[in-house]
Amino acid sequence: MKNMRKMLFIVTTALLLTTVAAGCSKSTNETKPSTPKNSNATADKGKETTDDKSSDVWQLGSSELEFTAYAHYGWMDFPKKMEDVPFWKYLKENKKVNIKTRAAQGNEAQLMTTMMADDDLPDMIYGNRFDPDILRLYAAGKLVPLDDYMEKYPNLKKWLNANTSNMLRFPDGKLYQFPNWYTSRPNGSAGYVVNKKIYKELGSPTLETMDQLYDYLVKVKEKYGEEVIPYEPDRAVDGQGVGLIYTGFKENAYYRSLNGNTLAVVDDTNNKLASLFTDPAFHESQKFVSKLYREKLISQDMFTITDRGPVQEKLMSGRVAVFGSSDPMPYASAAHLTLSKEDPDAGYFMIWPFHKAGLDKNKIYTGGYDQLGWNVNVITTAAKEPEKIFALLDYITGPEGMVVQYFGPEGGNWQGLDENEQPIFTDKYNADQVSEIQAANNPIMIAGNTAYIDPAKMKFELLKPEEERNWLARYQESVTWKTHIDQTALANNLTPEPGTDLADASTNIIDIFTQALSASSTAKSDEEVDKILVQAEKDAQALGYNELLEWRTQRWLANKKALGQ
Amino acid sequence: MLFKRLGYSDRIMIVVIYVFLILLSFTALYPFWNTLVVSLNEGLDTAKGGVTFWPRIFTFSNYATVFDDDQILNAFMITILRTIIGTISAIFMTALLAYGMSKSYLMGRKFFTIFFIVTMYFGGGLIPTFLLIKSLGLMNNFLVFIIPGLISVWNMIIFRTFFKSLPVGLEESAQIDGCSNWGVFLKIILPLSGPVIATLGLFTAIAHWNDWFAPTIYITNQDLMPVQTVLRRLLNANLFNQASGSGNVNSLTLETLGQKSLTAKSIISATIMVVSLPIIAVYPFVQKYFVKGVMVGSLKE
Amino acid sequence: MSEVTAKEHYSSIPPERRLVNEKSFFQRLWKQMDIQLMVWPGVVLIFIFAYIPMYGVLTGFMDYDIFTGANIFENPWVGFKHFESFFNAPQFWTIMRNTIVISLLKLLIGFPAPIILALMLNEVRHRGFKRVIQSITYLPYFMSWVIVGSIVMSLLSTENGSINILLKGIGAIDESINFLSIRDYFWAILVSTNVWKDIGFNSIIFMAAIAGVNPSLYEASEIDGASRFKQMYLITIPTIMPIIIIFMILAMGSLLSAGFEDILILAQNPSLRPVSDVIDTYVYRAGLQNQRYDYGVAVGLFRAVVSVTLLTIANFLARRTGNSLW
Repeated sequence: MKNMRKMLFIVTTALLLTTVAAGCSKSTNETKPSTPKNSNATADKGKETTDDKSSDVWQLGSSELEFTAYAHYGWMDFPKKMEDVPFWKYLKENKKVNIKTRAAQGNEAQLMTTMMADDDLPDMIYGNRFDPDILRLYAAGKLVPLDDYMEKYPNLKKWLNANTSNMLRFPDGKLYQFPNWYTSRPNGSAGYVVNKKIYKELGSPTLETMDQLYDYLVKVKEKYGEEVIPYEPDRAVDGQGVGLIYTGFKENAYYRSLNGNTLAVVDDTNNKLASLFTDPAFHESQKFVSKLYREKLISQDMFTITDRGPVQEKLMSGRVAVFGSSDPMPYASAAHLTLSKEDPDAGYFMIWPFHKAGLDKNKIYTGGYDQLGWNVNVITTAAKEPEKIFALLDYITGPEGMVVQYFGPEGGNWQGLDENEQPIFTDKYNADQVSEIQAANNPIMIAGNTAYIDPAKMKFELLKPEEERNWLARYQESVTWKTHIDQTALANNLTPEPGTDLADASTNIIDIFTQALSASSTAKSDEEVDKILVQAEKDAQALGYNELLEWRTQRWLANKKALGQ
Repeated sequence: MLFKRLGYSDRIMIVVIYVFLILLSFTALYPFWNTLVVSLNEGLDTAKGGVTFWPRIFTFSNYATVFDDDQILNAFMITILRTIIGTISAIFMTALLAYGMSKSYLMGRKFFTIFFIVTMYFGGGLIPTFLLIKSLGLMNNFLVFIIPGLISVWNMIIFRTFFKSLPVGLEESAQIDGCSNWGVFLKIILPLSGPVIATLGLFTAIAHWNDWFAPTIYITNQDLMPVQTVLRRLLNANLFNQASGSGNVNSLTLETLGQKSLTAKSIISATIMVVSLPIIAVYPFVQKYFVKGVMVGSLKE
Repeated sequence: MSEVTAKEHYSSIPPERRLVNEKSFFQRLWKQMDIQLMVWPGVVLIFIFAYIPMYGVLTGFMDYDIFTGANIFENPWVGFKHFESFFNAPQFWTIMRNTIVISLLKLLIGFPAPIILALMLNEVRHRGFKRVIQSITYLPYFMSWVIVGSIVMSLLSTENGSINILLKGIGAIDESINFLSIRDYFWAILVSTNVWKDIGFNSIIFMAAIAGVNPSLYEASEIDGASRFKQMYLITIPTIMPIIIIFMILAMGSLLSAGFEDILILAQNPSLRPVSDVIDTYVYRAGLQNQRYDYGVAVGLFRAVVSVTLLTIANFLARRTGNSLW
């Protein structure tokens, strides 16, 4: 034992010496700009920007633009050569844009950590707006503010609502994030999809209220037994079809209320955010779901599947009677295409959301949309010419950039813009080619402008008779755009800062919520649903749910103010 | 067969063993077989489900998609090179170390043992390791695949255990013949350690082949990317398509994405086959070193 | 150094006495220089690649700002703050219990299983059959957990899952069982899937060890009329015992690593968390939200301390058998 202690002592000493050596040599040799918070770099860039103001606006294509770009995602990378994507090839050939890419290859969190630790950042980062790394880059003073550029260049200023841009600002009041797919109009596709063939075989009953949904599912079960899944709620761990049902039990309910980073319901009378667990509508909807579960009217596997593969298989083989999902379109439309090809009477159609009898069906919102979009581009202090990068993004988000991405270069499918800046389609318009162009450009659309492009696409679709219209576009027009509510205020800035007590509370309360959602959805009786939710409320309160809700209320009120709501 | 010569209880045991092994093999083969079948089935058809033992609509198009990447051949070369060089050098260095460590009279042996074992549990973490690799000039350097992995403590312990079990007489007779310790190691120990070298060599080669992590951090030059990393990109994109359908994309492009998600499963399967088949195929060749009596044979000589 | 002296020396003195007879430290060191030279390259490599970065463990006691990189001393010390926040997590005891139970189960069942497989394969005298079985049983090791998970799920599904169909067919149950949502079944499903996945691969090392058995021992015992079973536990098992014990010690050291990806995939249902949540899945979830590097380091450090303690105990116990790590 004595020997071992000696050994351990030596090891420890060696370790400590190394530590000291490594620590010291680094700090003496490298005079890295210390105290990175609010570093000089930002200030310098700021000055540069003010200087630039006097100079002319840089025209994209007037000189070379070269920079490094990186997509901070686990599931996508920018391609090795950007010019493999048609739109970026176009930019390279016509606008002298030359981009070097860095790829995370599925390891984005670690790669970002090393890039930060090494201060070796790419010039531009494309990432999720809610990713704490973006906030971390800002806090370390590694991002370039965009406000001055925004004033100089036309498109972002024009298309991004001023209130919305306020929401994107960081605590210092500056704009650092160039948004992607921002919008001022409803989008999203949450809702219920019904199997056409089964619906007809059951005599096409009225499907409007929750009770009618229940009766219909019972009939499906009676007629088809185990062959067909009456109600398929998709991956219920994420809410999905279970969350949709909640929105049908209360007027103006938000699907977003079930999101871990919100986890609150709007209490209009007191103008505050209240606990989800005590919401009577949530109790009621979970009782409904658990009844479906007990009577085997809902997929029994809804909480156990890892991916949507099995859901896809069921839809593709026409074994689902009603499909409820916050994102049913990709699978339902593909399944519809496949099934209707074989049998014109088969396929799926979307219906107006179900509601509890007595509620106003026009006040039921199955989903929400966020004016800020999903992703953002940030320009880091590593960029030598941040303004030029901004100019590129601004071009992409403008009419020309958008139309080229969607319909190819001018002179092909389109020629010139009309008085609303919408493209004028030519006789040469080729629908197949257009969808190819979109498919090829789709992975790398870094500055999409929904507010502009949705009408542009719809403009062409609406020229066609209804049956020939794109399956998706038809239901967007008739259903989903009318059943999605603006949830911007409820979806932003409600995540507590990493490392704080509130953040810990939030993490633990999300755990309680996900467990309660699953347990109550599969409860054995209505009483058990109440019991589970009451217990969840109690546990959450013990962890500081109330403080979290109070904090979120403040943030939410500030959001509403900024948005002018 | 010699079955008849066995006693009653031994016969039962043999039958049980054969039945068990066949059952186990069937369950072990099925996922692999199914992946192979799906990879050879038309993607859209796969999405309907029910593809199990045989492809319904046979196609090579999923493989065409996987190989439709100008990087992939170069990436294969990198992977093969790093696997061969990395395995040979690591096995030699680790075995050499283990031989030294197997000598009970090695001064500081206990210290060394603890010195090595500590590193199996305590690590510096991502950032210090990354900064070290960078300061050593190993960023974007092929050697980053080789040098940091030269010594595996786990392998060293196994080697040491094997070396200790070798007959002492062997070494002594060699030393009488005038061999130094190095000579003994190179001429006697290594040739005698066929099974353990084959096993640990296989483990090391698999680890080299499957490593996708290090390249994502230490390599930015795409020409140095091994095949695992390159195909992981394809895999991730497709897994994402399959897992979440659309996630964060514009509503109007959903349809294209829906189509993509449908073919994802077949492409994922083809990718898995391309990545894992070459290394899986190594094992049968290694098995010939597991024949009993290799060591005893050389003892007699 | 002189080879002659070394040779004379080593061949004339029994190994266990060699240290005793030497004079000074340096003289002794010089005498075994050739052996020392075998060890030092490894020592240097491990020192560089494992010990130099080890200053990183200190960040577990700091509020570490990633942007400071290697200049970790610019960060404020916070003592055991991150450890406390981990220990005080409401799920801490559940997590610890699950971690220990799951890894113990994996050890108790997953550890002997490949040894038994290797022993079974050793009884197969038909060489071609043996090779085919060997090659097939190691295939699952190469399948990712995502694939294995989807296969397990479709097997256990309530909708056309083979297991439920089978159980209904033989009349064991009337209604499909939703296996992956019932807490009582989770550990069994997790451990058996793990064993199945790794058994072939892990048996390779024992196959290699069995190859070291002297065949003449079998021949002799056969003449004595020993049964196959007797040969197994009288000859084969004792021969591979040292490697089994070493593996056992190493396994004890990883008692706080209950797995990660397998649990993440098989325990999709949040209702399973009370039995499925382990250190790694918890840290992953906490980290997903907050991405706390220092917190991760602290948890890793806690685990390492426990591991080394357990390893030391296991090693101490194993010393009685004559096989130990140090």
